[in-house]
Amino acid sequence: MEDKFDRGSALTVFPSDRHEDLMALALALIIAALVYFLV
Amino acid sequence: MVYTRRTVWPLVIGIIMVAYAYLVQSGNMAGLIKFLNTGRYVGEMVTLGYAFGGVAILVGLWQLLATPREGHGDYYLSTVAGVMFIMLVAFVVKWGLDPLMGMWGRAAQPTLGFNFASILNLNYVVMGIIAGIIVVNVFRVPAWAENGVRLSRLGLKTGVILLGALYSFAELQQLGKLSVVMIGVFVLGSVWLVLLIGARRNLPNSMTGVMSSGIGVCGVSASVAAAPVVQAKSLEIAYTIGTVLLFGVVCMFVFPIVGKLFGMGYIQFGAWAGTGILNSAQVAGAALAFQPGGIETLKVAEIFNITRVLFLPIIVLWLAIWYVRREQAAQRTVQQVDTMHVIVSKFPLFVLGFILMFLLSSTGIFAPARHYQGSYFDNSENALVRTDRAGKKIDNHLKAEEVATLQKEMEKIKRADQKAALERLAQNKKIMTEEDDAMVRGVINSKALSKEGSAVLAKAHRVVRHTAPKISRFRDLIAWFFTFGLVGLGMQITMASIRQAGGAPLAIGSVVGVIKAVGSLIVVLLLVAETI
Repeated sequence: MEDKFDRGSALTVFPSDRHEDLMALALALIIAALVYFLV
Repeated sequence: MVYTRRTVWPLVIGIIMVAYAYLVQSGNMAGLIKFLNTGRYVGEMVTLGYAFGGVAILVGLWQLLATPREGHGDYYLSTVAGVMFIMLVAFVVKWGLDPLMGMWGRAAQPTLGFNFASILNLNYVVMGIIAGIIVVNVFRVPAWAENGVRLSRLGLKTGVILLGALYSFAELQQLGKLSVVMIGVFVLGSVWLVLLIGARRNLPNSMTGVMSSGIGVCGVSASVAAAPVVQAKSLEIAYTIGTVLLFGVVCMFVFPIVGKLFGMGYIQFGAWAGTGILNSAQVAGAALAFQPGGIETLKVAEIFNITRVLFLPIIVLWLAIWYVRREQAAQRTVQQVDTMHVIVSKFPLFVLGFILMFLLSSTGIFAPARHYQGSYFDNSENALVRTDRAGKKIDNHLKAEEVATLQKEMEKIKRADQKAALERLAQNKKIMTEEDDAMVRGVINSKALSKEGSAVLAKAHRVVRHTAPKISRFRDLIAWFFTFGLVGLGMQITMASIRQAGGAPLAIGSVVGVIKAVGSLIVVLLLVAETI
């Protein structure tokens, strides 16, 4: 799969694992905020 | 490179999802839902159908009509089609194949003599992963969905971080001690064993080092983190990752079956999977496959998994020292590596996200801070006396005959503190304190009372325990993040990635992996009790 993408890796669209972790953290915090305010 | 493909499929998927949600909402699918016994999913069928379908229609139209230009917009928006593709597969598996397989399993039982769906653990998690593997290896992932499939790991990591919101200090205290001991023994033990066998078989130090981290700690990320300090070559990292993936895939399917054969409980299985399976994603897969209808096993398994990742800095330091000594002993020059920099730059940040979410949850913003497994104690009159939808008052205090049953069996209780708690319960017709609630749970678990007596206690316990609505919503969301991640993970398990495993690394990895899995199984069965 590596050759198909010129960005990210075969396993992720992000430039590095650290980027992916930060995105997951941001997404989780957004969801937590939505749950906190809406539920 | 332009990633967006001009295709009608995301739009078609969106229309299918919205149409399905509408048919469910309007009651046109009632017959099918009743036949499949999927009434409990109606809420999510409607919400998720409209939400994902709406997004798919919008992005599908954009993909069909706009002319994409190379850039961030094209790159990230093109992932939406893949996300929708994974979700469609997940919907079909969870709301269709899973209940259907359950029915077939029960129907075939008289002929076969066993329920094949139950024995083979064919639930939506296992079938979702298998569906992903079949899609990528038999048909291949459509070109327009390929970019989005690479978001599956993001889904798993987000799920792990959100999971932090579901723990209380009490749970973490109980599971934390157990996990530190078990992970300490098995992680350090398996790293040591790989280093020992690698040295005996004269494998290159770099190969042995990277493999010990991969097999011992947490698979792929540990291999990548350890690689710089042992100066591993790309091929050695690839061998290790191939071995970890192959072993992990086998474990993901075998562990739940073995767990059920041994009649393991949630804590036992979670502890075993979190210790014995090498890769984080596969730990989650096995835990959800073992308990597809809830996330208690997943919670236990993830505590073990997170503990394992927290051992990573220790292992990297150990390997750095070990590697330098071995190379110097062989009189080879060693390139200087800043070990601390490696630890800081490679440490998986989502683990800290999990801890952050746990700390947030501990402040009591999602559920009363003293919640246990998402439920909290409340014996106030408002909590016990409720009005149902028809306006009828429901009083959950113990009834006179239930109090009589309890008093009749009181003499079976020998412990003075438990007896006192039951006397207070009989007197007040409700459990009075959290401590009394713990006593009542203890009596239920000890099975000292008759079936009727235990049922009275179970009711008394149930009516003072309440699940926080926010925690309940977190549970649903987390289950879907993991489902998405695991179906996508299946789509990334290609034969080419598994073929990377081979030779001595595969042999050593398999031997140590099996020793770790069997050893942790024995320890769990002998020493870990189901106390919750």
